[in-house]
Order: sequence, then C-alpha cells, then structure tokens
Amino acid sequence: MSEIIVVGAGIAGMTAAVKASELGSHVTLISPDYSERSQSVMAMGGINAALGKNDSVDEHFADTMNGGCGINDVNAVKRLTDDAPQIINWLSSIGTTFTRDGEGKIDQRYFGGQKKKRTAYAGARTGKQIVTALINECRKNEAEGGVTRVVGWRFLSLIIKNGKCLGVICINEDTSEIREFLSDSVIIATGGLNKLFGKTSGSIHNDGVATARLFMQGVELANLEMIQYHPTTVNTPVKRMLITEAARGEGGKLYTIRDGEKWYFMKEWYPELAELMPRDVVSRSIYKASEAGKNHVYLDISHLEESIIKTKLDEVYEICTNYLNLDPTSEAIPVYPGVHFFMGGIKTDENHKTNIQGLYAAGECSVQYHGANRLGGNSLLGAVHGGWIAAENAIMDSNDDYINQIDDELESFNKFEKSGKSVDVEDELAEIMAQYMGIYRNEEDLKGALAKLEGLEVKANSYYDYIKLESLILLAKACVISALMRKESRGAHQRTDYPQTSEEFKRTTCVTYDGEINVAFR
Amino acid sequence: MSIKVKIKIDGEYQIFDYDGDLNIPVTTLLERLDYPIEYSCSCLQGLCGACAMVINSQPKLACKTFVNDEIMVKEYGIITIEPLSKFPLVKDLKVDRSILHDVMIDCEQWLESDARVSDDLNFDYEMSMCLMCGCCTEACPNYGFDDFVGTQVAVSASKLISQESDSQHSKSIKRKYKDKFYPHCLKTLACEDVCPMKIPTQRAISKMNRKSVWRIWQLLSGDI
Ligand SMILES: Cc1cc2nc3c(=O)[nH]c(=O)nc-3n(C[C@H](O)[C@H](O)[C@H](O)COP(=O)(O)OP(=O)(O)OC[C@H]3O[C@@H](n4cnc5c(N)ncnc54)[C@H](O)[C@@H]3O)c2cc1C
Ligand code: SF4
Ligand code: SF4
Ligand code: FES
Repeated sequence: MSEIIVVGAGIAGMTAAVKASELGSHVTLISPDYSERSQSVMAMGGINAALGKNDSVDEHFADTMNGGCGINDVNAVKRLTDDAPQIINWLSSIGTTFTRDGEGKIDQRYFGGQKKKRTAYAGARTGKQIVTALINECRKNEAEGGVTRVVGWRFLSLIIKNGKCLGVICINEDTSEIREFLSDSVIIATGGLNKLFGKTSGSIHNDGVATARLFMQGVELANLEMIQYHPTTVNTPVKRMLITEAARGEGGKLYTIRDGEKWYFMKEWYPELAELMPRDVVSRSIYKASEAGKNHVYLDISHLEESIIKTKLDEVYEICTNYLNLDPTSEAIPVYPGVHFFMGGIKTDENHKTNIQGLYAAGECSVQYHGANRLGGNSLLGAVHGGWIAAENAIMDSNDDYINQIDDELESFNKFEKSGKSVDVEDELAEIMAQYMGIYRNEEDLKGALAKLEGLEVKANSYYDYIKLESLILLAKACVISALMRKESRGAHQRTDYPQTSEEFKRTTCVTYDGEINVAFR
Repeated sequence: MSIKVKIKIDGEYQIFDYDGDLNIPVTTLLERLDYPIEYSCSCLQGLCGACAMVINSQPKLACKTFVNDEIMVKEYGIITIEPLSKFPLVKDLKVDRSILHDVMIDCEQWLESDARVSDDLNFDYEMSMCLMCGCCTEACPNYGFDDFVGTQVAVSASKLISQESDSQHSKSIKRKYKDKFYPHCLKTLACEDVCPMKIPTQRAISKMNRKSVWRIWQLLSGDI
C-alpha cells in the first residue's frame, strides 16, 4: 500500500485524497483548518461541463482554449473537457444537490466566454454544496482508515533527495512545532497566491507560501504574470468582494454614465456576447469605460425578477444588503475589477506531475488548464479533475529512501530572532503588486516594481511569518520578471508598450530558481 | 465615534479603546485594534464558519456582525467579545472545535450508496449549508453534558437519510441519532435562533425524530 501526502483540503485536495484512498493507498491529508474553511466553499456561480443536447465536449474544449488565448496545455484541456460530464455525474452521485430543471435534469446557465448554457450550479452556493458532499465522502474514507486528516499544519518544505521527493516538513500554526511527514508521493493542493495582493476576493488562508517555498527548492513554476482580475467586485470595509459572473449570466447589464445617460458599453463594443465576454475582456472594458476608475461603472440586475435575485443570486443579495447597504432589486451595484484568480503557479503536465519526481500539484495552485485567462466555472472543474488525475498517478510511486532534512529546518527555526511586525511589510508588498501588476502594465513600471521589491526588508515576529515574507517577496519578483519578459499582450497580461499579441509568445512562461530567477518561454 | 472594546483574552477581560468608523464587521474591528489577538478566520464574508465567537453574549460570525448594529454599542458604546465557551481554548479568541468533526465520524455521517435525488431538494440544499461553526452548540442549553453530539449531527443526518439508498446504513445513521442525539435534545429551539445560515434545525430534528424514534410512525409508513 502506498503512502500519499496531500497538502491542502479544498476541493482539489479532498478529491485527491478520496480517489487515492479508493485506489488502495493511505493518504495523510494536511491542512491549516478543516475543509469547511477552504476557499472552495466561496465559489458560487457554478461548474462547467457539456451536458446538454446542443452542446459538445469539442465546443467546451474550443471555448476553454480560446479563453486561455492558446497557451493552455492542449492535452490537459482535452482530457478536462472530455471528463467533465463524468465529473458532474460523480459529484451528483456523492450527494451534491445541483439545481435541477422541471424534468429533474441538472440545470445549466450561461457564463462568460461560452455561447452555450454549460455551467451547472447548486443554488447560489455551488462550491459549498460540492464541499459538503466531498467532506462526507472523505469522512467515509477516514472511518475506514484510508485517509488520516492532520489539521492545524502549514507546509514548510519538501523533503528532496536526488531529485526525488520523499515527503514534507510542516509547522503547527498554534504551537510552532515542526514535523516531518514521509511518503511515496506528495500532492500539493494549496490554492491560489492570494497573499501577494494582501486581500483578494478569496480566502486569507491561501497565502501562496507553499508555492513560493517549492519555487525556492527548485520546483518549476509557470505563467506567473497571468493574474485574473474579476470584472465585478465591490468595495466593502472588509475587502473587495466578488459579485458572481452568474449575475451577468442571468441577465445583469453593465453601464456607466456618459453625457448624463446610461451607456451600455459592453453591448456597444461586443454586440454578440456583450456582458458575457471572457473576464479579461470585460475587466479591460470596465477600465476603459470608467476612464481608469474615474467614473463609476454599475452592474444592474434590478430588472431581473426578485425571486431570481433572492434564490439563484442570493449571495449577491446578501453581500449587497449586508456589506453595502444597497438593495440590488432596486438599485444598480457599483463595481470595479479586483484580483480574483491565479492562472499561474506550479507547472504540471497533463498527469499533474511537476519537474520533481513524486511531486504533483492540483487545483488553483497548479498550471495547465487555464492559459492566459480562466473561464468562469472551469476552476471548480479543474480542481476536481486535477485531484482525480494526480491521485491516479501518485499511487504508482514508491520510495524507500530517507534523508534527514528536518534538522536543518529546526536549526534555522532556532536561529530565528524577532525583528518587528510583518504586517507592515506585507502591506507594502501588496501595494507594490496592486500598483504595478494591474490590468495594464509597462516596462518602466515593472522595473520600478522590481526596484521596490528589492528594497523590502523582511521583518517578522514569528518564524512562519519570516519564511512567508522571504519566500513571497521572491515569488513577487518572479511574477514581475515574467511580466517584463512577456513582451506582448495576451489574456490577463496587457502591456501598453506591447499592445499586440505575438506568435513568438504563444508559449508557457516557465520560471525556475537557482539563486537567480530564470524565465524561458516553452 | 469611540467605543470600548472588551475582549476576553486567555480568560481575562481586557478593555481597548477604539475610535473610528463603526460601520465595520467585528473581524475588521479586531484587525484595527493594533494589538495582536488570535482568532480564526478565512473567507471574511460569512461563508466558512471560522470566525464564530460570542459577541455581546450571542454566538455569531464575527465577519458578518456589524459593530454599529449591536444594541450594546448603540446604547452603551461597548462591545464584548469572547471565545466560544464550550470548546478547549487555543489562544485568545481561538478555540479547538475538532470534537464537532470527530462526532460526525462516530455518527457515520456519510453515504454508502450513490445519492438518490430526493423529493425535497431544497431541504437537502439548506441542510448542506452547515458551516460546522459551533454557534448552535454554544446556544444549546444541553450541549456540553453527557456526550451530546450537537445540532450539526441532526442537520447532516436529516439530509443523508433521504439521499442514502443503502437501507442498512440508513438504519445505522438513525440508530446513532437515537442513541447520541435524541435523548439529549429538549427541542428548545435555541440552535435555530442563532444559526448564521438560517438552517431550519427544528425541521431537521423533527424529521430525524419521526424517522428514527417514533415507532408508530415507522410502522404506519413502513419505513423501518
Ligand atoms: C468568491 C469566489 C467565487 C468563485 N466562484 C467560482 C465559480 O463559480 N466557479 C469556479 O469554477 N470557480 C470559482 N472560484 C474559484 C474556485 O473557487 C477556486 O479556484 C477553487 O475552489 C480552488 O480549489 P482548490 O482545492 O485548489 O483550493 P482551495 O479550496 O483554495 O483550498 C486550498 C487548501 O489549501 C490549504 N492551504 C493554503 N495554504 C496552505 C499552506 N501554506 N500550507 C498548507 N495548506 C495550505 C487551505 O487551507 C485549503 O485547505 C471562485 C473563487 C472565489 C474566491
Ligand atoms: S447548524 Fe448552523 S449554527 Fe450549527 S454548526 Fe451548522 S451552521 Fe453553525
Ligand atoms: S433544539 Fe435545543 S436542545 Fe435541541 S439541539 Fe437545538 S438548542 Fe440543543
Ligand atoms: S471568516 Fe469565514 S465566516 Fe467569518
């Protein structure tokens, strides 16, 4: 029986754990908190699959490749879209309460970048409903002994010997205890790089440190410049919160005021898909229509039936009434693009293998499906698919080697000295990223960002905060250098100094670290 | 406006002055105090259940509870924040709720068969919204005594028994409920009043009582 470690317990991590356990392996599922707290529960809008009679997996494939502007992994996307209907069936069979139509079939709605109704959903809380079903499934495997949950721990480093991964070293959030976990293979499923930008629309648990530390240890990353700004986020006292794409899928319209009148710019600029263009296009349009944020842009759903707003979009209703004191059934919602999703992260192949033997990655932290821009509804799909495929491959690894690496970790832990509050530096880092890694970029700004990042001094009062900042600053530099080197505009990466898309860059940005950050396009 | 913020930190109350915008949730207030206080949070928008704590004597999600909505703030300019009291304290406002999850395993809260699409999808949907936050168990007068497993078990079980087509396992879920939940719950309703997801816990409990305890009902409906 092989021993597999899964780090991260969102949809990707839990799927990997369940599948590996069902295939006869023992899984240790490590996460800072229980799965109810993972970012996956926040997904509202839905999950894509070509289920309908007038839709096909080929169209799903084509839309996904187009959305990603051609730099997605063709083989991986092919498998993703082919397997999507089976994934929805599986999720339904484990008890996900998808919304159904009058005939009892799973209902589907429109989402951006897709001309077909392809997005299956569970009321207004698709992610939560999937997570609940997956937790039950995982629990069954826990009771049977196939999965052991280890809660309260964060990833510190990979145990590597001769290019093969032998396990992980983790730190306890409450006690700072440092521990090694040995295994035949490791699946990383730690979600997006949110902390680079301070607070995003997602969970503050996803600090991106696992990815950053792996990068320092030689794991290859990719497409770091591809950062998705969701077109419709709202400013609340807490953070920018997401207004789901489903609001536009159900018929929401975007406008701004021009010469005293409502101007529906999406309809004017893109008559066919209008508000349902891919996210990168809508975000850029809002940027332009608002003259870079000078004028307000509004998302109007007030013309929709109140019952639709209060059931299918109830989360939108809640956010508006709770956090904005605004009633979306009668008022338009002021929106602006905000950081939402990371297309970049750990580079994996179609089997979810990384460049280190025995190391896999799945979910938002891994790169292959989404290219330069992810379509709404493809991320939940990719998380389930990735977890599943990673598990199928990871169970084949075996390993009877050992290296003592924990002593080094303990030594650096013991040497650590308090040097001040890390939050201030974290804020500075977030500010630099927000300012220079926005929707539009240019060489001068990016060089300025690099200089500012160089000037950041790591301060921390705990060991974890120290390694967090140290690794995130390096990761931030890698993002900026990737953006500098991609001298073209494509998807989420727009350069004012290189506004054209260039065939030369129809490749993946591959990033490695060996004391220096190296970028190559392959 | 300035208010007093009274926080129970490791068992002792400490009072902080806060001067600023009050149209903010309690999590944002804690962030702005400029004093390191440990508490759990993840989504910051009422979706994950991490930040449950006791605010002015009521268990609530801190990220969804606005300071200026609190009556104690409006009337007396003070807000009291305490950790959930029925779980082991980790630090400051952070508690260890692992017992809530452990009892879900003891009570066999999973499916053995492929899920049936039940007649009442909306009910199943509502029951699947449980955050495992522990607000209900905080308010429940009987939680904390005699190994009572807590409301979240009834919520989960009430959905699983309509999805489960393996009758052996369905029976087993009901038996666990009858042993570990039913004798302890006095149907006082407190849990439903505080549930941040507005889950109709009484419907869950009634359904489970009907299905697993009331023999007559079972005989009449042939559902044993
Ligand atoms: C508001 C919102 C709405 C969304 N709506 C949709 C939608 O409608 N459709 C769609 O397809 N996608 C949507 N997404 C995106 C989608 O939710 C995520 O991309 C997806 O859930 C990621 O799943 P995951 O399993 O990779 O990661 P997550 O669910 O983020 O889980 C990551 C796990 O890793 C753990 N972890 C994090 N850091 C560490 C560390 N350093 N060490 C150890 N463990 C760690 C976390 O605690 C967690 O358990 C939405 C996202 C947001 C924020
Ligand atoms: S039933 Fe409600 S209060 Fe109880 S744990 Fe679930 S969400 Fe929280
Ligand atoms: S009904 Fe009352 S006794 Fe029963 S679980 Fe809820 S709060 Fe506790
Ligand atoms: S932080 Fe998620 S509910 Fe409050």
